[in-house]
Amino acid sequence: MLFLENIKLALTSIRSNKMRSFLTMLGIIIGISSVIAITSIGDSAKATVSKEFESFGKNNVMIYPNWRENPDMTISPNAAFSQEDIDALSVRFEKELAYIDPSNNIQSETTVGRVKGKWAVQGVAGDYDKFKNMNIIHGRMISNSDLKGKRDYVVIEKTGAKFFFNTENPVGRTLNLNVNGNMREFVIIGVYAEEKSLFSGLMSTSAYAAYSPYTSIQGDLEINASMLNIYIGDGYDIKQTSDAMVNYLEKIKGIEKGFYTSDSVESQQGTVDQILGTLSLAIGAIAGISLIVGGIGIMNIMLVSVTERTREIGIRKALGARTNDILVQFLIESMIISAIGGVIGTALGAGIAVIGMSIAGAELVISPLVVLFAVLFSAMVGMFFGIYPARKAAKLDPIEALRYE
Amino acid sequence: MSKEIIRLENIYKTYKNGTINVEALKDINLTIKEGEFVAIMGVSGSGKSTLMNILGCLDRPTGGNYYIEGVDVSEKTDDQLSQVRNKNVGFIFQSFNLIPRTTALKNVELPMVYAKIPKEERRCRAIELLNGVGLGDRYHHMPNELSGGQKQRVAIARALTNKPPIILADEPTGNLDSKSSIEIMEIFRKLNKEDKNTVIIVTHEHDIAKYTDRIITFFDGEITSDKETENMKQEAL
Repeated sequence: MLFLENIKLALTSIRSNKMRSFLTMLGIIIGISSVIAITSIGDSAKATVSKEFESFGKNNVMIYPNWRENPDMTISPNAAFSQEDIDALSVRFEKELAYIDPSNNIQSETTVGRVKGKWAVQGVAGDYDKFKNMNIIHGRMISNSDLKGKRDYVVIEKTGAKFFFNTENPVGRTLNLNVNGNMREFVIIGVYAEEKSLFSGLMSTSAYAAYSPYTSIQGDLEINASMLNIYIGDGYDIKQTSDAMVNYLEKIKGIEKGFYTSDSVESQQGTVDQILGTLSLAIGAIAGISLIVGGIGIMNIMLVSVTERTREIGIRKALGARTNDILVQFLIESMIISAIGGVIGTALGAGIAVIGMSIAGAELVISPLVVLFAVLFSAMVGMFFGIYPARKAAKLDPIEALRYE
Repeated sequence: MSKEIIRLENIYKTYKNGTINVEALKDINLTIKEGEFVAIMGVSGSGKSTLMNILGCLDRPTGGNYYIEGVDVSEKTDDQLSQVRNKNVGFIFQSFNLIPRTTALKNVELPMVYAKIPKEERRCRAIELLNGVGLGDRYHHMPNELSGGQKQRVAIARALTNKPPIILADEPTGNLDSKSSIEIMEIFRKLNKEDKNTVIIVTHEHDIAKYTDRIITFFDGEITSDKETENMKQEAL
């Protein structure tokens, strides 16, 4: 009962000093809104990046010689990956290995009619679209029989189709591609729509993207790849499986341990997540300092309020208020000021995050946990910085307080 | 005879003023019975305010014992004293001491809030008391919208809320014009004579003191006289 009474009392007191209460809240509002904005933007960035990584497929693994640790090593012909290595891996890791290609590609200047342009063709194995999120809009993707038959088929991106053929659907038409110096005619068997990506801006090249069987863009040459592009089957541990593959490759090729290394999208995403997490934590902590400043503002104004209301405190004590009644009255007042500031700050911070994310064009993630934490934390700031003034009020001697002018 | 409300036994109060000890009260022995109407008089510095603070449990004596209705309150803790003030003492001050920016009704309710009386009951009692002091049309006025006499009436209503055995008024007419002073003293007389409240008024004005039945005079921390007034003698006749 007394608790409700105190809340009403606090609201009355806040109302009767509107400007002062608002200025006091401002510190908390700024603190909470910047914490909310920063953590929301951080979380949203994380979600966007993780979505980006998922478009590669989380179970994507690259195996390649460890250049990073041995930058000076020369690659012997034996160290490069051959078709036999791919076949051996496919047999040895029959269940775990969902997809493998030697990550080869070609660049080709191409003319169709009077249109001239560049293509970047990536060699893939069958069913690549099942692993990398691809949206086939016309025709079909490269299949395993295309791979085995070394068919000169190509699947091209929509913008390229429009650029060269002035139609979204040039399936069945042909494209001349330069494969190791020989111009060859490839049949277009499919068109895909490229997904808008955060990284597409960074990766922009003047070349249009296309996919062909890796066997056909290899031409007459043997497979001689420096990197294997692998997808691991669902349910297998990515790190463990890729390590086993690296070990197996080193063993069958008779190469010293540690020569190859693997890198997975999962581990890259972990790294990026960690960097983003640390970054938003660091900036959030700086914003958190402004909360402390806001708290000191509350303490300051509560001290003024206690002095102003000394006589009122004396009257209350004369009428039977106990030390705790006065303490709770002032604590609740400072908590309410700061909780109101916390609510306004949360709304403002979420607003800033919404605007920021809509400018960046990314999806907004506001964690309800963060909001709850922010409001509770601001109330706690109010309580912590309210303790000293409230104790000062509660400890006033009633006679002196009544005499106070 | 009526029972004792207040008994002071060998009360001393010493203040430290720098290095000098000031004896504000020296060996005060005093008994006030239920239903008495008492004035405590004295010039300023005579110790009457100190006595008032001790009677009202705002302060503790340095020595001696103070009994309210037979209970020794001289050794109680601060919070216990708060409860004694809440239940046993109704204060009326010279400067009214209403809570600013708070309606007359809320002011009257306040002692009941600290007595943890439910809201409905509080409201009813406060309305009843304000009607009793003739402020039935001023429930929702703020203190700064009331005249001095009206403020003091709100204060009287507030003093009566928890039906305290002692009503303690410190220069209740000190800030009032003569017309309001008379009205207020009439209220006190009515409280004493009709409602049988024990009323103690601290004053330095003889005109005010003569409303009461018993005048206790202080000088230099000691009681110099304690006698019944004309009122009492008239009643006795």
